[in-house]
Amino acid sequence: MSNRPVNHAKAAAHFLEDAPHLQFHDERLWDMRQKRDAQMHILPEWQELREEASRIKEHTLSRLPEYLEQFEENAKKNGIHVHWARDGAEHNRIVGEILKAHNARNLIKSKSMVTEECDMRPYLAKQGVTVTETDLGERIQQLDDQLPSHIVVPAVHKLTSDVAKIFAKDYHTDPDIRDPHLLAEAQRQAARPVILHADAGMTGGNFVVAETGTFVVCTNEGNADLSATVPNLHIATIGIERLVPRMADLGIFIRLLSRSALGSPITQYTTHFRGPQKGGEMHVVLVDNGRSARLGMEDFWTSLKCIRCGACMNTCPVYRRSGGLSYGAVYSGPIGAIIDPTFNERKYSTLPYASTLNGSCTNVCPVKINIHEQLYKWRRVLVQHHEMPFVKREIMHMAGKLMGQPKMYRAAIKMTEVSLASMPRFVLYNWLNPWGKHRENPHPVKQTFHDWYKKNRAPGQTDAAETAK
Amino acid sequence: MSARDEILQALRNNRPTPENHPLPPVATLGDLDASRERFITSLKILGGDVLEPVEGETLDEAILRRHPDAKVICSNVPEARGTLPVERIKTPQDAATIDVTVVRAAFGIAEMGSIFLSEAQLPINSFAHLGQHIVVVLSADAITANMHTAYQKQPEFRSANYGVLMSGPSATADIQGVLIRGAQGVRTLSVWFT
Repeated sequence: MSNRPVNHAKAAAHFLEDAPHLQFHDERLWDMRQKRDAQMHILPEWQELREEASRIKEHTLSRLPEYLEQFEENAKKNGIHVHWARDGAEHNRIVGEILKAHNARNLIKSKSMVTEECDMRPYLAKQGVTVTETDLGERIQQLDDQLPSHIVVPAVHKLTSDVAKIFAKDYHTDPDIRDPHLLAEAQRQAARPVILHADAGMTGGNFVVAETGTFVVCTNEGNADLSATVPNLHIATIGIERLVPRMADLGIFIRLLSRSALGSPITQYTTHFRGPQKGGEMHVVLVDNGRSARLGMEDFWTSLKCIRCGACMNTCPVYRRSGGLSYGAVYSGPIGAIIDPTFNERKYSTLPYASTLNGSCTNVCPVKINIHEQLYKWRRVLVQHHEMPFVKREIMHMAGKLMGQPKMYRAAIKMTEVSLASMPRFVLYNWLNPWGKHRENPHPVKQTFHDWYKKNRAPGQTDAAETAK
Repeated sequence: MSARDEILQALRNNRPTPENHPLPPVATLGDLDASRERFITSLKILGGDVLEPVEGETLDEAILRRHPDAKVICSNVPEARGTLPVERIKTPQDAATIDVTVVRAAFGIAEMGSIFLSEAQLPINSFAHLGQHIVVVLSADAITANMHTAYQKQPEFRSANYGVLMSGPSATADIQGVLIRGAQGVRTLSVWFT
């Protein structure tokens, strides 16, 4: 995998060029945000729910080893095989071995961000296993060979016509279909025989209950329940941070999850797995993949509270106008920008800059992660580690010097005003001025505030800053 | 060291101070109305509907009225006979031919219009998902108020190996944001009160 920093700005610029896609993407995500708000306003206890969710998650993370052991003990008692994976490679090997032991060649799966993290599909393909995504959005992305662009709605950057083209190639449907109902029906018809003949099913897990050894899967299409109940072998891949201590805690989280994500009160299916079905076998793979290290990062460990609702993405003006794929990472949007650098600091060094720091992400987060503050803190870390582009670094360096010296600063401001008014465009808009891309420089003013102040106010008063010098 | 021990050790080394993060007591928040009316309002928001009996009608007759084209009706409840004896469903795949599945829910949740099914209510778990439509028999006495009361009071969450809360039929909005009821699981979900 390339280690080069993701050029988010360039990818976003490309996304901005396509007006119909941009407009739909922006409006669709904002609509999800508004539906979330409507749900929030119905519930007077909304802020209390967020506070409880945050406290339960922070408590659980501080006692994660104990709760993981408790889950493992209870799950094993109920007949679940529990596996542990340090990283993606180990996870893939474990899944490969389970499938091989059952001579399973056809795996159907529901959406799981952890399997994306582990890049599991190509690994299993090499082992001769056919992996079929059964979630509609995820299947569209699999057929188009793209990462999911959103953690809840993976193909939200596509229009009906894009899906029609993809399905025409693989499902032999009419490429000119413009009715989403017909395309969803085509997916149902194509998936059924695959589901009925699958050797194994795979799901993720939204919540894990230590007290009972249960894991919970929240979905809408019914594909996860089909994947888990039709084949007799069920493998669930789950991040180790997904624990909650008690069954009763689920009440808080289930009430928040879908309301925050899509603005629906609950997902159509909320499924609780506590043991294998009659005649079946059940495996849970607990995946670390950087999480235990993240828990030790003083400024960033609370990002592990995330329940993957996507509300921060829906509300983010940068995400809505750049698309998930522009982040070049498994996790996009504000939450992606604060967890991706823990996977690869250099490659994802540009992502914490894909934000206006407006704080909207923090305000909508159901588990109260201080996302915008972490974005800011990541910028500081990246500067200290020199993971900053040359031009940005030099501009910041010069700005720092200037702002520390009032006389030089004022001279520079005057110079700038003169330059803005008189310089030709090619001098003002070029690679040394990334701010001027897609934006006009501010209009020059005839008089700076400082000049105006000297002239109109404070006669006889000395400039405090200069006296202090 | 095994992966398990290595991960647990890393978590022990890296975790924030546990004393600073006590476990909050179990919370019961929000509306505690457990009425059938609230259940029905919530069910309709999620795309489900109520099968209202016309005077003197049996459940079998009501199902045929709701699904006139149904050929294979398979019932796991004594209130309906159906057309296919449920004993014929032996493997998970056997349920694929069913047009209308009839089950009894263990309980319902008024806040969400959800109904709960587990292996205790199903001949085989896929029975709830492979049929085209589902009719759910629910006792109006078996409705709990909201998610808090459900998880605190319903013993089924602690006894079932497989327990699904279905809130309306399957749905998707993955193509250009258009909401489609009837995605990959059941196309419709109707509740018959007893």
